[in-house]
Amino acid sequence: MIGLKVAGVGMVIAGFGGWGLAGARRLERRVDELRDLRMALGFLEKEVTAMYTPLSLALERTAEFCDMPVAGLFKESAAALQQKHGVTIREAWNQGLDTITRYSDLLQADTKVLANAAGQLGMSNVNEQKKLFTLIQEELKLQEEKARERVKSSRQLWSYGGFIMGIVVVILLL
Amino acid sequence: MLLQTNSALKREIIPYFSPMLQGLLEVQGEEFLARVEEIRLRCGQPLLVKLGDEDWTIIPAGQASRSLQLGYRTSEEDIYRCIASISDNSLYAFEEDIRRGFITIPGGHRVGLAGSVITERDEVKNIKYFSGICFRVARQIPGAAAGILKEICDAGNGELVNTLIISPPRCGKTTMLRDLARQISSGRGRAAQNVVLVDERSELAGCFRGIPQLDVGPQTDILDACPKATGMMMAIRSLSPQVIICDEIGRQEDYAAVRECINAGVSVICSVHAGSDDDLRRRPFIRDLLGSGAFKIGVVLSRSKGPGTIREIIRWDGI
Repeated sequence: MIGLKVAGVGMVIAGFGGWGLAGARRLERRVDELRDLRMALGFLEKEVTAMYTPLSLALERTAEFCDMPVAGLFKESAAALQQKHGVTIREAWNQGLDTITRYSDLLQADTKVLANAAGQLGMSNVNEQKKLFTLIQEELKLQEEKARERVKSSRQLWSYGGFIMGIVVVILLL
Repeated sequence: MLLQTNSALKREIIPYFSPMLQGLLEVQGEEFLARVEEIRLRCGQPLLVKLGDEDWTIIPAGQASRSLQLGYRTSEEDIYRCIASISDNSLYAFEEDIRRGFITIPGGHRVGLAGSVITERDEVKNIKYFSGICFRVARQIPGAAAGILKEICDAGNGELVNTLIISPPRCGKTTMLRDLARQISSGRGRAAQNVVLVDERSELAGCFRGIPQLDVGPQTDILDACPKATGMMMAIRSLSPQVIICDEIGRQEDYAAVRECINAGVSVICSVHAGSDDDLRRRPFIRDLLGSGAFKIGVVLSRSKGPGTIREIIRWDGI
């Protein structure tokens, strides 16, 4: 009986602890994803402003350059654009954003920065495109800095908080 | 001239339209689509489809009609979606084309653009806020120039003589020049010759990303989007042409370049906007050129029996 109780206590604490650690990992992943996103946009900017690559191809190449889940944004957008039939970049980009929102740890504030670019991406001359990419990358850098601050302040809270909460639950149950 | 097949129009042009316009155009009959020469979209105005000299529209229910005021009114969104598709949502990649006022799409069809023109130091820098789009369906008619080719071969040695194709707009001179290039460079019934097409407006070969979309023959080099005078000089220096073909000469430097080509022993075939020999001779530069004996034959085209009708052959060589 005691053995069963000890096992139960262990499982509760491990469960809450695991949940806390996953929360801490999510915070760290968001930072990585924002950095990957910024780098991918830098790659896309070069394709657009230096190589004059049409957007559907530029997005496809960018998807090959980066890893999931960031690649999902570019892959999905490229696929939507390649269908033609009057699809606009806003619609294609929003489809990509749905994918990245589903499979990443980015917050709404992060995807909003990307969503703001949807209407202007591709639809102006090179100089305007350069300005747009600079703006998005700067805004993402700010989000990344905020995310880093949040990691510093909250990672330990999540990491230890889960185990502490597990212990509290065990005490309450006992 | 029912030349553009229904499937070609459906495959090469209609996909660029907004879903609403695609729906209206796709339901039209094969005979209607085969006669389409131009499709015009103007913001807030009825969709206009040109079939030869006739103006047609399509009503929102899908039927074609000659009553333009009943036609489906093109919206700002239709224009935006169309521009987005044509440019692959990449206007930055088409800056040069937009500056020239048109984009050539695969198949060699030319899409003319209207909107707010931004200028800098008297030169067009860009067009934005697009308000109108004109699709001109590119046509190729293999054999269309057979009648002309017979006339412009020298009776003695069979060499091509310098020829001017004279025609008002929309009488088929571009189609004739394209077929002449194809026939001369493929050598039907005679030795094939090296041809250079100086295609300033990307109409003759309909190049898309440098690749000709229309058949201009196996021994034809194309200087796409290249100013005519510059292109003719480049061709002489680097491409060793036997024949140079170009469309719509008109500027002083074009005439000087034609003279250079002829002096270099290259046959020149080009077109010029005019209704007749008399119209032509009212222009000082071309009058001088004709006076110098540069061109031997003039072919006047009309639309009397459809585009490409040969109305008159003028012989300036006195034969």
